[in-house]
Amino acid sequence: MAYEDYLAGEPVIITAALTGGVHGKEANPNLPETPTEIGRAAAKAEAAGAAVVHLHARKDTGERAFSTERFQEVTDAVRDRTDDVIIQHSTGGTGAPLEARRHPLYTDPAPEMASLDMGPLNRYDHLTSENTRGMVDDLYDEMVERGIKPELEVFNDGHLNEVLGLLDRRDLADPVYATLIFGGGTLSPSHPRNLLNAVENLPENALFNTLGFGPHQLPLTTIGLVLGGHVRVGLEDNVYYRRGEPAESNAQLVERTARIAAELGREVAAPSQAREILGL
Amino acid sequence: MTCPYLEYRDAGDGKTFDVARAYCTAAGEFVQPMRADICNDRFALEHTRDCEIYLAHEGGRAEADGRGDGGGA
Repeated sequence: MAYEDYLAGEPVIITAALTGGVHGKEANPNLPETPTEIGRAAAKAEAAGAAVVHLHARKDTGERAFSTERFQEVTDAVRDRTDDVIIQHSTGGTGAPLEARRHPLYTDPAPEMASLDMGPLNRYDHLTSENTRGMVDDLYDEMVERGIKPELEVFNDGHLNEVLGLLDRRDLADPVYATLIFGGGTLSPSHPRNLLNAVENLPENALFNTLGFGPHQLPLTTIGLVLGGHVRVGLEDNVYYRRGEPAESNAQLVERTARIAAELGREVAAPSQAREILGL
Repeated sequence: MTCPYLEYRDAGDGKTFDVARAYCTAAGEFVQPMRADICNDRFALEHTRDCEIYLAHEGGRAEADGRGDGGGA
């Protein structure tokens, strides 16, 4: 993907990351946590232009849940309330064992997509999300077994090497789909030059998705649009609409992205178009 | 063993919740969900090793600011 894809007006896939597992209502009371809340948020995000919803599961206390049963409740709530949206389950889970991280892949039906973290990242001062190559391969193999397309999460440029390594070790179906992530700590520093560099270093013919944390969500996803990529927004990554103003909803963030895409001449992909683009 | 500074509250820190949530009495605020796993020593996490707020409080140093590096993935 490249600037030429932008000039050609290629449709953009908007992913809505609805809830995540790092922060919760203590950060923004509008962040959905229960299955019902997540289902409603997914419906509004789909109506606003999201073709993909990235899902985590929470306990009633808002804490992280990894069980298949809880993911089943969440995914059922989303399917009940949405028309055609693509469901993508997270397999991320700092500090959680591999076994727990496999559970989101076992829902019935399986999600069409799932995230696959490409390497380690630090959390707070004492935690590392390990994501060893063995863990990556294990989760990838489980996804293949269940017909799930991996969304390769690239937290920094070193993880671009890990993508190439995964391509050497495994036979990924085309197109390779990578999310380029920008923020603090272990993530690639949030600067347009780093997005340009990451895009330049992607495997040939790979599709990319841009994810910027916090105040970087708006500028970096906008640049991602101009570079012909796809974008991810939502309260998982950014709880503010603008400086000092908490976002009202995931849909509000999706709506803004859809407006910008339209101004830039890029059609927002419906879920059916997104399936074609992603090879689902 | 859970952290001695962990409580489950439905109000505090200027916020209210329908279901009681993890609250850190050392920091005086509700904690992020991922931090609650540390508070509860879930998986292989241990608050005595992995929580900078606990370590700072027990060490008598100024409290950690509880910052993270951004959202989830």
